Amino acid sequence: MDGISTSLERYMDLVSMRQKLVSSNIANADTPGYKTQDLDFQASFQSMLDGGSARPIEVQGLETKNDGNNVDLDREARLLAENALRFNIASNLVKSQIQKIRSAIKEGAA
Amino acid sequence: MSLFSSLSVSASGMAAQRTRAALLVENIANSETTRTPEGGPYRRKDAIFSTTQVGSEFASELDSQMQTGVQVSAISVDQREPEKQYAPGHPDADANGYVHISRVNPAEDMVDLVGANRSYQANVAAMSAVKDMIQKSIDLLR
Repeated sequence: MDGISTSLERYMDLVSMRQKLVSSNIANADTPGYKTQDLDFQASFQSMLDGGSARPIEVQGLETKNDGNNVDLDREARLLAENALRFNIASNLVKSQIQKIRSAIKEGAA
Repeated sequence: MSLFSSLSVSASGMAAQRTRAALLVENIANSETTRTPEGGPYRRKDAIFSTTQVGSEFASELDSQMQTGVQVSAISVDQREPEKQYAPGHPDADANGYVHISRVNPAEDMVDLVGANRSYQANVAAMSAVKDMIQKSIDLLR
């Protein structure tokens, strides 16, 4: 596959990784002492394109509750929707890449 | 497959909230119970959550990436002295005519129940979002 497909694959990997962190945040919304986890999206994407890996970070600037937990469910709901849309876009792009290759094969055979 | 382990995380959240809701309902149901197998009136119970590492059933040793889920690590039992209510005719009344009743506050439990319900729904929403993403990946093969 070409460069675009590879980038898209990395992008989808990153979005699903972020989705995992959002799932963890939501599951631990009532766990005392739990701190919200996220990825620095741009930095992680750059490092993954260069063959590195993404590192989760603790999100700063969120309001901490009395039990030491700082999960903001509204923030997580926003990220949930955002991730779904990002993944949707990437999967449609991959699909169109595959269709291009398929049509190249088929037109050649005709 | 990394997306499948997200499903396990959301499932752990749903299970924990369900356990919590079960305890809260038990509290409300037993708010006026004066006899228990341990002796004395019913004591309020609550779930204590802690983080745990969960993986998909298929993750195996190859995929060492474990995800942070949630579990009920302990169940706390209210250790406060029971409240005393004057009811000399009650079969469980002591020598002075006082009945020991639990300190369950139904309003507190109802509020917590609403919270458990909301958290459960949030986990369901996360799970269905991940499910859609997996479905999108499968659709690439069509």
